[in-house]
Amino acid sequence: MSDRSDRGDGQPLDRLNPMRLGLRHQLGLVGLVGLGTLPLVIDATFALTLALAYFWGVYAMSWDVVSGYTGQISFGHGVFFGVGGYTSALLNLGYGIDPVFSIPVGALLAAVAGLIIGVPALRLRGPYLSLVTLVAPLILVQVFIFRSDIFNGEQGLSSVDPLFGLSTFGNETAFYYVALGLFVGVLALLLLITRSDAGSVFTAIREDEDAVAAAGLNPAKFKIMAFVLSAAIGGLAGAVIVHTPSGNASPTTLMSVTVNVEVIIAAILGGMGTIVGAGVGGILLILLREQLSKVAWTVPIIDTPVSDIDFLVFALITLVLLYALPGGIVRWVIELGGQSVAKLRGRDDVAADGGQTPLEQVYDSYAEWFSGGDDDER
Amino acid sequence: MSAETASALDPDDGLLVLDGIVKQFGGLTAVDDLSIAVEEGEILGFIGPNGAGKSTTFNCVTGRYPPTSGTVYYDGEDVTGTDAHRMVTKGLARTFQEFRPLEDRSVRENVELALTPDKLFSLQGLRGETRQRAAAICERVGLGDRMEMLPDELPHAGLLRLELGRALATEPELLLVDEPFAGLSGPEVESISNLLSDLRDEGLTLVVVDHNMRGLLSLIDRAIVIQFGAMIAEGAPEEIKQDPTVQEAYLGGDEL
Ligand SMILES: Nc1ncnc2c1ncn2[C@@H]1O[C@H](COP(=O)(O)OP(=O)(O)O)[C@@H](O)[C@H]1O
Ligand SMILES: [Mg+2]
Repeated sequence: MSDRSDRGDGQPLDRLNPMRLGLRHQLGLVGLVGLGTLPLVIDATFALTLALAYFWGVYAMSWDVVSGYTGQISFGHGVFFGVGGYTSALLNLGYGIDPVFSIPVGALLAAVAGLIIGVPALRLRGPYLSLVTLVAPLILVQVFIFRSDIFNGEQGLSSVDPLFGLSTFGNETAFYYVALGLFVGVLALLLLITRSDAGSVFTAIREDEDAVAAAGLNPAKFKIMAFVLSAAIGGLAGAVIVHTPSGNASPTTLMSVTVNVEVIIAAILGGMGTIVGAGVGGILLILLREQLSKVAWTVPIIDTPVSDIDFLVFALITLVLLYALPGGIVRWVIELGGQSVAKLRGRDDVAADGGQTPLEQVYDSYAEWFSGGDDDER
Repeated sequence: MSAETASALDPDDGLLVLDGIVKQFGGLTAVDDLSIAVEEGEILGFIGPNGAGKSTTFNCVTGRYPPTSGTVYYDGEDVTGTDAHRMVTKGLARTFQEFRPLEDRSVRENVELALTPDKLFSLQGLRGETRQRAAAICERVGLGDRMEMLPDELPHAGLLRLELGRALATEPELLLVDEPFAGLSGPEVESISNLLSDLRDEGLTLVVVDHNMRGLLSLIDRAIVIQFGAMIAEGAPEEIKQDPTVQEAYLGGDEL
């Protein structure tokens, strides 16, 4: 193991030079600049909707870095949004601590929660993490209801201070930028990490943990890192959102079963295991839901307005999309884009595709585990 | 020499020493009180009919699962039950009999993974150096012209070469190769044999598994034969071929 150490030179930074990025990355940058200028043309209500959408983008990206990359599915990411959000709200309400200081503490406690849940569950092989994360948020919600004197039960905590002393009415644009800033910051951080060596170890774990160990890498260490990072970012998003008009420290905003499920749906729809896809998925999920709740049209036979059954319609659309685009929207767009570029350039050599989608890989490894057939060498 | 002479071994009897290894799966005893010493610099043949417990022995040594009882020493140190990735850092690498490439990345990237430091924050892969080292290893194992392929585009022998490349990338002192020759044609057997003996000449110690002697005879220095998880013979390859117990073990079943 002589020559395995790091030596610094300029190349990694060179890779981040926008002029040398590929076409789709340049388009992505243009898109972000577009989002940055959007408040010039939209009204306050839509700015707040988009702010909520960015928070959901962060939720979904935080889920993706552990579940999309390492294949360890978390069914209860709301726990971390909840720990972050309630911590920051309680510190602010109880001790008058400014959100600027209470938010990092919320993220930190969420990371600690990630360690407590992740270390025992991830040192084992198999989907233990899924089982633990399935019950963890239920327990937390019950505790919050049981100790309503502190957590105010289902209602949650309101009238916490808004971030930066902004005012809920009149500062919509500022909140828009807070949410967008968080989104872009988290996107950049997670892209950096998943495009570094750790990212390729994460996806290798999703493929085959034994092969990773045989390569001299400790799978548990990398899984725990991904999970704690994910918990911290989820906690950060939860902590910030309670200090904005987009949400408050309540189970509905942070940790209901619906939240837990929708985060997964958002990431898978957008493109599991790509970070960008999850971020886009989170944004689209909120925009779609918001659109549906405004549809006044009445479904004939059952005589119900769409806005009353928006969640059902949303779930149906999701199902159709999952079947049609199992790799997620972003992968599909990139493929389409790649094909048209190739056509424009007069080639249509389709690149070999890299085996299964992450969703299929996870399904296979879970199925294998539940059928007890991990040892295929006889 | 027959099995009875193999008694309790000393931790320093070889680079790798197995002392009384037993592995049970429920009621089935897959490895039955096996004691082996692998000497530094040798190529040891580890032979036995299908289901004899060869792969299970490897799994107990490489930390895939711990043995039910017995002790494993590596470099004189008790390493029984040590995690798989720790064994690799100690210098013991393996290949998988059933081949376990990462299907989602190219041959070269498979090798690169094994060159990645076991550190949480590393940008080594973003530089060209890892790539070049991976390319050199691909050349070494005979995949130089196929390193941008995906594993599922490789033929059987190519997958074996990839297993070897990935193991070599961890810079091992001792390499356990599980049934490399099964399913290979004559010329392929010879080419892989040559590769393995070149590696030995460069200082690597090897244990090569097979279910028969084909391809091993000229390659190995010494052979151990097991049946039903227990050792039935040990010695030079020619001696082994003449051993009556061994011949009986193979009667009616696999060809020796
Ligand atoms: N994970 C396992 N669970 C139960 N039985 C196993 C397992 N692995 C191997 N065995 C059994 O142990 C015996 C030895 O298998 P193995 O070590 O793969 O043999 P070999 O590699 O010599 O062909 C076989 O009977 C096999 O069915
Ligand atoms: Mg075997």
